[in-house]
Amino acid sequence: MPAAFSGWCLGHLLLLLLLLCTSLSGGTLADAAMTTQDSSQAQVNFVTKTQVGHESSGPNASIQELKPGGKENLHSVPEHEIVLIGTSLEKKISLPSPTKVDLTCKLDDHSHLKNPQVTWKKGSETISHTSKTEKSWTIQVTVSDSSQLGSYTCILKAEKEISATFHLQVPKLEGKEKPVITYARDTAVMVCTAEYNPKAWTWYLANGTELVRVLRADKFQIKRPSPNVNRLEILKLTKEDNGVYWCEAIFELGSNQIKFELKVLSFGAPLKTFIAIVAEVAILFTTIVLYEVYSKRKEKGSKKECDQTKQLKSGDSTETQK
Amino acid sequence: PAPAQAGRAPGPPDGGWGWVVVFGAFVSIGFAYAFPKGLAIFFKEIQDFFGTSYSEIAWISSIMLATTYGAGPISSILVNRYGSRPVVMFGGLLCGVGMISAAFCTSILQLYICVGFITGFGLALNLQPSVIIIGKYFLKRRPIANGLAMAGSPVMLCTLAPLNQFLFDNFGWRGSFLILGAILLNCCVAGALFRPIGPGTALVKTQVNEEGKDALKGKTTEDGPMEKKTEEEEGKDCFEKVNQYLDFSLFKHRGFLIYLIGNVLMFLGFFAPIVFLAPYAKHTGIDEYSAAFLLSILAIVDMVARPATGMVANSRWVRPRIQYFFSFAIAFNGACHLLCPLASSYTGLLVYSSFFGLAFGMVCAMLFETLMDLVGAARFTSAVGLVTIAECCTILLGPPIGGILIDTFGDYKYMFIKCGAVMVLAGTFLFIMNYYNYRMLAKEEKERKTKEEHLKSVRTENEGKINWNKDSTQDGPELEPLRENGEGVKKEMNGT
Repeated sequence: MPAAFSGWCLGHLLLLLLLLCTSLSGGTLADAAMTTQDSSQAQVNFVTKTQVGHESSGPNASIQELKPGGKENLHSVPEHEIVLIGTSLEKKISLPSPTKVDLTCKLDDHSHLKNPQVTWKKGSETISHTSKTEKSWTIQVTVSDSSQLGSYTCILKAEKEISATFHLQVPKLEGKEKPVITYARDTAVMVCTAEYNPKAWTWYLANGTELVRVLRADKFQIKRPSPNVNRLEILKLTKEDNGVYWCEAIFELGSNQIKFELKVLSFGAPLKTFIAIVAEVAILFTTIVLYEVYSKRKEKGSKKECDQTKQLKSGDSTETQK
Repeated sequence: PAPAQAGRAPGPPDGGWGWVVVFGAFVSIGFAYAFPKGLAIFFKEIQDFFGTSYSEIAWISSIMLATTYGAGPISSILVNRYGSRPVVMFGGLLCGVGMISAAFCTSILQLYICVGFITGFGLALNLQPSVIIIGKYFLKRRPIANGLAMAGSPVMLCTLAPLNQFLFDNFGWRGSFLILGAILLNCCVAGALFRPIGPGTALVKTQVNEEGKDALKGKTTEDGPMEKKTEEEEGKDCFEKVNQYLDFSLFKHRGFLIYLIGNVLMFLGFFAPIVFLAPYAKHTGIDEYSAAFLLSILAIVDMVARPATGMVANSRWVRPRIQYFFSFAIAFNGACHLLCPLASSYTGLLVYSSFFGLAFGMVCAMLFETLMDLVGAARFTSAVGLVTIAECCTILLGPPIGGILIDTFGDYKYMFIKCGAVMVLAGTFLFIMNYYNYRMLAKEEKERKTKEEHLKSVRTENEGKINWNKDSTQDGPELEPLRENGEGVKKEMNGT
């Protein structure tokens, strides 16, 4: 039955694109995607290949992440595309510098939707197509400053309405989600990594609701081991250094921030656990030694009685065994 | 637990306090194998803290592993001299001190010393004596005891991994090292359980074997107690003195040499697949959590496989031919790796992980059992030390060679093929050589028997020994058919 078959197809490909979606948004739905791994693998490859087939050279960013400081082919415009299926899809694209991008919404080959009407929108503003084929619709966006960043949506109207969104944004920063735990009088290190090389880095300390720029040279040291990595070292920690720190990377198209939480513990915190475990070790050790001494004494006491009986027994048993 | 053979010349208890010793060995061996692997969780943070590259941090693991295996002979010498118990307790103390001082380190070099050398050496002092003391407490049930004790490694790994993560989230790496130091002191507790067992038992067991081997070496001793006296007499001789601490005459022992060569070859391909399993999974597109799950599956199957293998190895069909079983396990392991490149999907890798876990557990459970079987409990102390230092080189070389293969070809399959091929080769080598060894032992047994008939009337002690031999072999049901086989199998049963 065609309806059932297309339903199965849609369902299957829905899972595939759920996978695509999660791989781009950071794996929050990884558990759900896990079970569909094997079937999805083949599908993912299929989609990648079709893209390579019909487009000119340019970084193929649908599944892989763009590497920091990646080169762009100057002779062609980077193309990003989404294959449309049942539910809404999103894709995040990081742009370090002003550029032009092609955004394509493409219908999957298995889809049976006929003569769909496609509109591209940014917010409430409609954008006209740059190019169009039977199953794909493309717009070209020129990004020269931060106002052109944002969400671009393609809306497809046929028997039902499907939409997909491209989020154009500044490159992401990577830090540490969990608090950084350090000890008083020690040094704290916070490492901030960006996808692309920013123009400048700044660090802030959150003081109440204000952000104070980190400046003191005797207390703070900022190092740049590589163009896209920045290190903040805080020396001679005290309890007052507890709090939130922000790493800001400034790109041509805007800036991005990431939060670090610093916890300064006193040495007593692990020390309590340490002493508890050492006490447990000492108790067990003493118990074992005492038990051994006790059982040896018991053995010695009864051994003298048993010795003679044992000798008699052994004489008997060896005779019977022969 | 089997009743102690009271009334006869004392043999190994095969039960009773022996099971407590197995538990102690479980803890000790678990820490020795699992602790270096569990430390990997801290490496990223330490790398960020000191601003070093990943390879510099990985050296910590390598130094630790190298010290644990390389200090084997030293461990053996100490056990020969002082017995298992003081060595394990000192080892536990050393580990604790090492990790506690590591919590205060201010440079990567200090970490190499504290975590790498000191803790590594402490773990070496934990590993060898634990294995040795099992040989002293068990004979008939030795494979089960070995299997259970070796199961400590996967269990400890499964416990340490989440524990380390928890400690790290709450206390940072310095606090975690401090607490881990305290946890390692538990090895002292495990050591306290290793009650020394009388030396008479070990010597009486080996008398039969020793006669055959002594004929080869040219020594003149024939009785157990007599052997000890001879050693004391010749103690002044330098060579003999060294041999007392570390038995270098093992290098003339046929079985030992076969084991050594086979194992050294095997370790070239043993650990690399585990190291690269998760990266390979990620390379084929599997996400991090699923890749970690593969390793968990491996550990769980491993946990079950080790005692199970011990039980199988203890059965009366396998025990006399345990060397063949060991060779089969190694070849099976190799076959798994050779088939791995065919598994491209996640389910395929899951299947591979389960079989790998099974094979890995089988080999590990019998690793020391087969050595004990070949050289006997008395010389096992020195044997294990010499074997571990030889294995040390190939263990350290295995993963880097795999890494080079991966980097050169850009494909993981060549690494799997290399590991699989090496292990199948090792398994086949061991199989053939042990077949030869069994035949030679049968021949020697026949020679020894005719010689014994000669001397029977002269030495009353011999008579007592042979009677004890016959008695002990008639005891357990699993030994009865072995005696009937008479393929030199009896030698193995008597703790050869």
